[in-house]
Amino acid sequence: MSGTGLDMGPVLSVRGVSVRARKVERPLLDQISIDFAPRSLTALVGPSGCGKSTFVRTLNRMVELTPGLRVGGQVLYLGQDIYARNVNPVLVRRRIGMVFQRPTVFPISIFENAAFGLRLVHESNEEIDRAVAQALQRSGLWEEVKDRLDEPALSLSGGQQQRLCIARALAVRPKVILLDEPTSALDPAATQRVESTMETLKEDFVLILVTHNVGQAARVADRVAFLHSGRLIEVGPTADILERPKEALTEQFITGRFT
Amino acid sequence: MAADLSSTANSILFDRSARTVWRIGFDRWIGRLLPLLFLVAIFPILSLVYYISEKAVPTLTWNVITSTSPYGDHLGVAIVGTFELYLFATSLAVLFGLFGGVAVAEFLPESAANWVRTSANLLVGTPSVILGYMGYITFCLYFGWGLTFEAGAVTMAFFMTPYIFRTADLAFTSVPAPIREAALGSGARPSQYILKVGAPIAFPQILTGIFLALAIGVGETAPIVLTTTASVLVPQNLHSPVTVLTALIWENYAQAPSTGLQTIAFQAAFLILVIVLVLNVVVRVISTIYRKRLEGLYQ
Repeated sequence: MSGTGLDMGPVLSVRGVSVRARKVERPLLDQISIDFAPRSLTALVGPSGCGKSTFVRTLNRMVELTPGLRVGGQVLYLGQDIYARNVNPVLVRRRIGMVFQRPTVFPISIFENAAFGLRLVHESNEEIDRAVAQALQRSGLWEEVKDRLDEPALSLSGGQQQRLCIARALAVRPKVILLDEPTSALDPAATQRVESTMETLKEDFVLILVTHNVGQAARVADRVAFLHSGRLIEVGPTADILERPKEALTEQFITGRFT
Repeated sequence: MAADLSSTANSILFDRSARTVWRIGFDRWIGRLLPLLFLVAIFPILSLVYYISEKAVPTLTWNVITSTSPYGDHLGVAIVGTFELYLFATSLAVLFGLFGGVAVAEFLPESAANWVRTSANLLVGTPSVILGYMGYITFCLYFGWGLTFEAGAVTMAFFMTPYIFRTADLAFTSVPAPIREAALGSGARPSQYILKVGAPIAFPQILTGIFLALAIGVGETAPIVLTTTASVLVPQNLHSPVTVLTALIWENYAQAPSTGLQTIAFQAAFLILVIVLVLNVVVRVISTIYRKRLEGLYQ
């Protein structure tokens, strides 16, 4: 993939995106513009209800699954607006994967969970075997599950389930992976493993991490974006935002004056 | 400070005010009363079972149940008729109910879905005799099918559909939202989500709904006796007349009261009780097995 001209420009480019709910005056997201470069991990931080989950959901059109929300603006994926009229949201979601707050494994075997996205596009069996093994290795789960791939995924621990969900997102080889507070339901040890997985993944993917935990952003992110009341207050390299925020709101949030 | 706290605790623990004494006494008596109320509820059921069994069992032999001779008691004929008619009716009802439930849960906009749900609830609340007359007017007269197996089966299908529809709708809407989003977020089309993720999760609930609809349907008389006519033969084809167990009660007990015929009615009633009991046990067993498989799913 490297060497193509596209690697230079942003993979995802968000241009003036707003989200409005029906009959609500204040927009949930207000004119957000931000670019996501290849091989980067951007953490979105902000107080509860600031719109960070809604924002990542606009990036793969998951936001449309909530009735009554209207999206304005453009989200360019490799230069193509994913909200253009002839774009199929299903295909968008196959390119831009997602991992949720709590593990969302399906009640099928470990292998079939990881293979879920591949089965949807009717890959050959050899291809699926290879991609699943690779995805499980990358998510750091392979050593723990390689001998029990046929067991039900629900028998795994919470942390293992979450890494299985990451493997499921990886297996279809997306370019972007959205992580919506992936460790908020995990204990510290499992959180640490997921964080180290994220650090290796950012070598190859665009990772966009929603987190309410500034410490987590400091540990894994290259760049931090701070959202407040649906607006993007500031964005910059992790150290700059966390140590020398320009905006008063950012400083208040980081120093814990509001959560 | 500490002394204050412990004296408060003492006053709560050793409260002997009239109000507290009354409350404790009331609680004790209600605790004794509830098992008695359970007896009040169970007594009519047990006495009904006893009453029916007493009249039905002494003369109920294997031969009586299995004989499909046109010259016998026709219990065997009714059993075959019941089995075939309800197999047909359940297949149709599952088709309608399942598609309707999935459509309402996954595809229709909320306002349209609520109209369909309200209609289904109304259909459940409609007296079965009205549904029977609707079936009679529509299928027997207007479509010109006459009093036949097909008219009875389709009318019964309409009777059973809303029960299956409601459980299918509920089963799919109660799939945890994050699981649904995860499937769609992995690039599943809605149809792929339904078949690969939604259906396995909803399956035990839907199965319970099908069996309960069947158990309710098997005990219903009006939709059948208004749209079919009884026969001494097992159904030969879709246009045949058909005898089902409830029709046997209706014909033999209410229409032709003589002791011998009444015994046949009691035997039919007894068989319906057994069928309903077996269906309920099957529902319990299957749904327990499948629920175990889903243990630990995102709550």
